[in-house]
Amino acid sequence: MPGVEHHAVSRRLRAGMSTSTGASIHGRGITKVFGNGPEAHHALGPIDLNVASGEFVSLIGPSGCGKSTTMLLVAGLEPATEGTIEIDGQPLTSAISEVGIVFQDHLLLEFRTAIRNVMLQQEIRGLDKRALREQADRLFAKLGLTGAEHRYPWQLSGGMRQRVSIARALVHEPSMLLMDEPFGALDAITRTQIRHDLEMLWLETKKTVLFITHSIEEAVGLSDRVLVMSGSPGTIIDEIQIDLPRPRPAHLGEYPDFARYAQRIYATFESLGIYKFK
Amino acid sequence: MAATITATGSALSKHWLRSEWISALAYPALSVIAFLAVWEVLIRVYDVPLWLVPKPSDFLARLSSDFPLIAGHAWATSKTIILGFALGAAIAVPLAFFIVSIPALERGLFPVIVFLNIMPKTVIGPIIVVWFGIGPLVSVIIVFLMCFFPVLVDSMSGFRAVDPRLYYITRSMGASELQTLRYVRVPASGRYIFAGMKIGIVKAVEGVIIAEFIASSAGLGFMIMRASSFMDLTLMFSGLIATAVVALFFNGMMLSAERLLMPWARHPTAD
Repeated sequence: MPGVEHHAVSRRLRAGMSTSTGASIHGRGITKVFGNGPEAHHALGPIDLNVASGEFVSLIGPSGCGKSTTMLLVAGLEPATEGTIEIDGQPLTSAISEVGIVFQDHLLLEFRTAIRNVMLQQEIRGLDKRALREQADRLFAKLGLTGAEHRYPWQLSGGMRQRVSIARALVHEPSMLLMDEPFGALDAITRTQIRHDLEMLWLETKKTVLFITHSIEEAVGLSDRVLVMSGSPGTIIDEIQIDLPRPRPAHLGEYPDFARYAQRIYATFESLGIYKFK
Repeated sequence: MAATITATGSALSKHWLRSEWISALAYPALSVIAFLAVWEVLIRVYDVPLWLVPKPSDFLARLSSDFPLIAGHAWATSKTIILGFALGAAIAVPLAFFIVSIPALERGLFPVIVFLNIMPKTVIGPIIVVWFGIGPLVSVIIVFLMCFFPVLVDSMSGFRAVDPRLYYITRSMGASELQTLRYVRVPASGRYIFAGMKIGIVKAVEGVIIAEFIASSAGLGFMIMRASSFMDLTLMFSGLIATAVVALFFNGMMLSAERLLMPWARHPTAD
């Protein structure tokens, strides 16, 4: 089975198609409990999570509200305690491979250069080397990494490391991109630029993105839809459709609607007692 | 114009490089020469007898006149170091991986390993002499024990060092256990294994001399011990210098191997 799938991916890559359709996610009653007995920790749910093919959805909420857990469940990297998740209509039983993952920390291998970190996807999946290298070069160009190919992670800035990490998550053209606070460790100026670069990449390929963040600006600035979560156990308490034109500007305050969306999230957080302003 | 600038630039950097070399080599050399000169002069002025403290000119001359003897013993010492060290590293690294792979084993063995690592290994010398007699094997075993534990302890931290979230990424790539080992865990542990080996080689040189003092018929330690029984202080000082050269050689080899095998490790930390 994996062989068939690899074949399909490499054929698509050889054909130069970069328009693989995004996967759809349908989760019903997803619940996660860690441990058992009196030690058990009910981390998440039950939640329903529906993401359409090619949609950009953010999960926003306070620390420990189960956002990251949700991502791991959707990737099939942790089993759900209860509930079902379907990817493209197929029930999830094990880790899915048509996916790219980016964490807050770049998690690059220190002993590989930037390009070889990205090409790890090719080596482990046994994909066509030339096609993947071309794809990697394209991504490097779009992410402003050209010239950094042969540098080791320690020779790159924090922003560049995270760009390499994004390239690694996309080089094999997955149908889904899962990002867990990918810009959380970056400075505000770098974050605004990388947010835009991610949006441009997404507009081009329309992969399904599940984006986890603490930042209201990032959530509203990037998403088609924002799901607001509260902990614990994590549940989805608000859902906001973001109708702002794309690509969105650096300064989101240009849109009066941005303030309205942001206001709604702040209000939700205040009503939950996450913010205690006097 | 551009060519001129480049030419001047490279000439400048070459000049800078040269002055860098001078400060790296010439100053230490000068201070050593000054130290030996003061030594030489003091011994001559106060007329200290040769059997008490030899002059640098005595033991440096001895180094060349007795070169075959000293070189032969230095070679015997080097062979012991290479054998004991290679054996130690070859067993310690896979064993570290095995121990770390089985959590129960790790929990059970770790205190024992820490205890054995702290215990001075030379105290086992007399016991090993009883078991194996006087000969090159005793020195090899002591060198083995000296470098085995630092390599084992550091390799264990190396195999534990990978951020567990990285395994989420490799699993999403569909990596098998073997692939994760080959592409991630083994290369990631390299920096730690080398750290252990660098400590190991220093301890190996220390250990080999002591082992040769107590139970050997060859090697620099043996040569120094025998010279001591003849009150041949000149040869003892020559042996001391030969030992330092051997130690420098093995340390240099380790550093070169690290630079060659791990070009990324020139930076002190991973992040």
